[in-house]
Amino acid sequence: MLNADVEVDRRDFTVQVELAVADGERVALFGPSGAGKTTVLEAVAGLVGLRRGFVELGGRTLTATGAGPVAVPPWRRRVGLLRQDPGLFPHLSVQANLTYAKTAAPDAGELAAIAAQLGIDGLLTAMPARLSGGQRHRVALGRLLLAHCDALLLDEPFASLDAALRRTLTALVKDLVAQRSVPTLLVTHQLSDAQAFADRLAVMDRGRFLQAGAPDAVVLAPASRRVAELVGYLGFVPAGDGLVAGVHPDRVSAGADPARGLVVTGTVTAARPSGAGWEADLRAGDAAFTCYLPDRPPGAELSVTLLSPPYFGPDGTRVVSGLKVR
Amino acid sequence: MIWVALLGPVITLLTHLSAGQIASALTGPGNLDPLVTSLEAGGITLLVLAGVCTPLAWMLARGRLPLPRVWEAGLLCSLLLPPLVIGLLLVFMVGPYTPIGQFLGWLHQDATNTFLALVIAEVYEAAPYYVLGAQAAFAGVDTRLEQQAGLLGDRPFRVFRRITLPLAAPGLSMALATAWARAMGAFGAVVIIAYHPFGIPMQIYTTLQETGLATALPYALVLLVVALPLPLAAYVWSARAERRRRG
Repeated sequence: MLNADVEVDRRDFTVQVELAVADGERVALFGPSGAGKTTVLEAVAGLVGLRRGFVELGGRTLTATGAGPVAVPPWRRRVGLLRQDPGLFPHLSVQANLTYAKTAAPDAGELAAIAAQLGIDGLLTAMPARLSGGQRHRVALGRLLLAHCDALLLDEPFASLDAALRRTLTALVKDLVAQRSVPTLLVTHQLSDAQAFADRLAVMDRGRFLQAGAPDAVVLAPASRRVAELVGYLGFVPAGDGLVAGVHPDRVSAGADPARGLVVTGTVTAARPSGAGWEADLRAGDAAFTCYLPDRPPGAELSVTLLSPPYFGPDGTRVVSGLKVR
Repeated sequence: MIWVALLGPVITLLTHLSAGQIASALTGPGNLDPLVTSLEAGGITLLVLAGVCTPLAWMLARGRLPLPRVWEAGLLCSLLLPPLVIGLLLVFMVGPYTPIGQFLGWLHQDATNTFLALVIAEVYEAAPYYVLGAQAAFAGVDTRLEQQAGLLGDRPFRVFRRITLPLAAPGLSMALATAWARAMGAFGAVVIIAYHPFGIPMQIYTTLQETGLATALPYALVLLVVALPLPLAAYVWSARAERRRRG
């Protein structure tokens, strides 16, 4: 179990978050660049100091401020960190990288098993410079697994890889986390990566958690207009009584279907192919938004249905049946 | 063409020497003593630089010192001062009537016209070259690799030994090679503070004054032949290390 309550001063704001990640749980910290997500990981890893707070892992206090301060150095934390740059040691072979940690099991059996599981068993004598991007990440992952870390911290680890490889590695990490049953934190600014990986999603902005919950719940029911913007709502249309409805481009159906949501009629200002469908820009009164449609919009006027959209009050908080969501 | 132009003095040296001249200049009794002196002083200089200046270079590269620009400016001062001036200032610093000189006297040592003085002069002439080169070598090591090694359980010294040093080693070896070349050819400070015992540069200077250019030149060739292998070895080793990394 990873428990943390950290306050870290940054130049522009203070990062202030509390989190609890159970063994085997995967939590994604999602937010825009510069939101302070990496700072949280670095605080857990002991790479930055806390102004206030604590970090506990598996019953051990790694950091504590106040009376009787504790600051376990990074080399004694048993926390594994995987960044976008896998950080392989370029002067060591793949095998030497894999077995680098002092805590790596000395028996060759585990090395062989993990190398086989990661698909790098034929690369043990190769130097990192010879590896592809995906192979490097696999080696870095294997190195963390062989180190027997008590927690895994993943800082946009696969962001530089293509989508297919990212999916493969994400699935692999999910399996491995389940096997090892370690608390895992993923930092990402790609919602799809967070959704593919995490049991729980925490949306972060300017050093604070804005909302946390199951990934689908956060996306379908954002607690505020800001969260909605961060999870992909690309427009807001007036819905009466001073409320606005969030428009998520994936949750728009062509045609008027009041039973399924809010019907909006507007003018198509632009339309372009997007994947197997169409992306259209609509203007309805003063509001403008983008939506994805299965077919090309038939004309200049178009009615669409926003499927169960979230509603927000003038102060930006979500409103459900006249009640503000806190 | 540029390479040939840069090699002009060396080519001139080779074209102005005959085997007979070299043999007669070097086979006299004690003629190779300056060579031995230079090698010994150069070797000790390298040890001093590696032992004392490597930590300084690392601290500069990692920003571990307050006011880093001041430290760097200090190194540049040493580099900008003409070696002759460094020699004069060393007299004022470690000469027999200074506190340091008196302390050395108490230890039955003397820092003028002794082997110790030669080493001191070479250290002061070569140190800025080594420190600046080593600083660049350390700065080239990605600190995230050091962090990663730490998170994998290595204490800082172990990280330095297993990650920082091997990755900086090619650059450090080049810095040492440069410092070696500077130490072996040190003359300006040496002529002031360590006229005796003669190293090769002093031998060239005194021979030139006493018997002329023809008898001085063979020593220049000896200096080249003896001083060159270490930098060459550093180049070769550095290139090999790079190839090994590339797999």
